[in-house]
Amino acid sequence: MKISVNVNGRNVDADVEPRKLLVDFIRDDLHLTGTHVGCDTSSCGACTVLLDGVAVKSCTMFAVQANNRNITTIEGLSKGDELHRLQSAFIEEGGLQCGYCTPGMIMTSAWLLSNNAAPTEEEIRNGISGNLCRCTGYDSIIRSIQKASSDRRGGRK
Amino acid sequence: MTEVLMPNTLAEALSMISKDGHDVLILGSGSDVIPRIREREIVPKKVLDLSGLGSELNYIRIEGNVIRMGALVTVRQIIDNELFKGRLEAFLQAGRMFGGPQIRNMATVGGNLGAASSSEDLIPIFIALDAKVKMASIDGDRLVPVSKLVVAKRQIDRRPNEIIREIYFEMPDDSSWTAFFKAGRRNSLIIDLINMAMYLKLNIDGTKIEDIRIALNRVRGKTPERAYKTEEYLRGKRIENETIARAQEVLDSEVQLSSDFRASAEYRKSLDKVILARLINNCRDRIVEGRRTGN
Ligand SMILES: Cc1cc2nc3c(=O)[nH]c(=O)nc-3n(C[C@H](O)[C@H](O)[C@H](O)COP(=O)(O)OP(=O)(O)OC[C@H]3O[C@@H](n4cnc5c(N)ncnc54)[C@H](O)[C@@H]3O)c2cc1C
Ligand code: FES
Ligand code: FES
Repeated sequence: MKISVNVNGRNVDADVEPRKLLVDFIRDDLHLTGTHVGCDTSSCGACTVLLDGVAVKSCTMFAVQANNRNITTIEGLSKGDELHRLQSAFIEEGGLQCGYCTPGMIMTSAWLLSNNAAPTEEEIRNGISGNLCRCTGYDSIIRSIQKASSDRRGGRK
Repeated sequence: MTEVLMPNTLAEALSMISKDGHDVLILGSGSDVIPRIREREIVPKKVLDLSGLGSELNYIRIEGNVIRMGALVTVRQIIDNELFKGRLEAFLQAGRMFGGPQIRNMATVGGNLGAASSSEDLIPIFIALDAKVKMASIDGDRLVPVSKLVVAKRQIDRRPNEIIREIYFEMPDDSSWTAFFKAGRRNSLIIDLINMAMYLKLNIDGTKIEDIRIALNRVRGKTPERAYKTEEYLRGKRIENETIARAQEVLDSEVQLSSDFRASAEYRKSLDKVILARLINNCRDRIVEGRRTGN
């Protein structure tokens, strides 16, 4: 099936198998391996990407459903060597340990902050409730998101 | 699965399924079917992806006092829409507990109606609102009351050449409210134990129940249904502890909830009674509050 998708600002025309999942298209065809697969039951959120700016689970969509739409993956957040403020904040606040959940966690957070620049702790907990982390116990993740939110309001990119 | 049909207009989509609709699985966002396709629980021959029909099937609008939603409206769009902030609180209550944030961003109304797996959360709310579903086909539109939509578990009254196009219902008036509750093990799990939705209207002086509709899932053949006898008992009654206790008994005798490995029918029934009381009080309080503050 022929599709055209804008991925991280770049237009891509591709021919994909009908039943190829979006996450497999992103990882295997586009070689963007930052997007992870952590389960096969739509429950972990490691595969989260933005579809037209909205956080979705790329393991629960076919690639063809992204036809004519914009996808942002974790690779699309940083500008060249310059990390996105969410990425810096996760490093500074220890928001990751093994890092497996981190790309999905950050993509969900990016969507969350785009709708709500200054979320409360409860709003953050709710916002990331579709992303599982085995390592951190979530507190440091929440601090990281809070830091990114205040950095942004403080003018840091 | 050999092919995905990707129409750009509803007319095109309808002509694609006008003949061999049996072989075609319609795809809203896929949050219900894709996990099942992955597990090979379903093996569709062809899939018709509705993603390209956003300009025709994604709208929420109010005409007079009728609210209309296109099949591609997502749970997220409902909870973000101002129309749902007051008397339609049931949608917010369901939305908050619906899947996780990403699933809310994906899940469509048409897909919720189409899934009809008995744990769908929006169906009881639509039943309580006495909503109607508009099915489109190349022969024209056909209306199905939501209360008649689900005929068996995972089976709805849809012909193979039809696509769910719209669902609509009347906006409750200022003496009415809607509420929803689900009891489950965990919010983000697909399967809940029980859900119940209610529409309640008080009489002019706010002392009695003028009208009430109660819908719950997993009744008898695992379909969502109205609790007609309980409604009938409650109509015209004052909301007092005794009335509620009696209504709980009526509900108990009326509803034959199904047992499964997740919860016994007995456990479901006791939950049910608690939820019934809670929803009645919730609706009543909000109507009374609204009257006081003039909303
Ligand atoms: C992790 C997870 C959590 C979930 N939690 C909940 C929850 O809390 N509550 C809940 O109710 N559901 C839940 N679900 C189930 C699912 O997300 C919802 O039922 C959702 O509304 C389905 O919408 P969809 O667009 O993804 O449907 P799809 O998967 O695309 O389709 C579902 C069915 O409807 C049919 N269909 C879709 N659109 C149309 C149309 N326009 N016309 C005719 N037929 C159509 C399809 O053919 C299919 O049979 C959950 C799912 C997951 C993966
Ligand atoms: S990989 Fe686990 S939710 Fe997508
Ligand atoms: S850091 Fe290991 S899963 Fe989250």
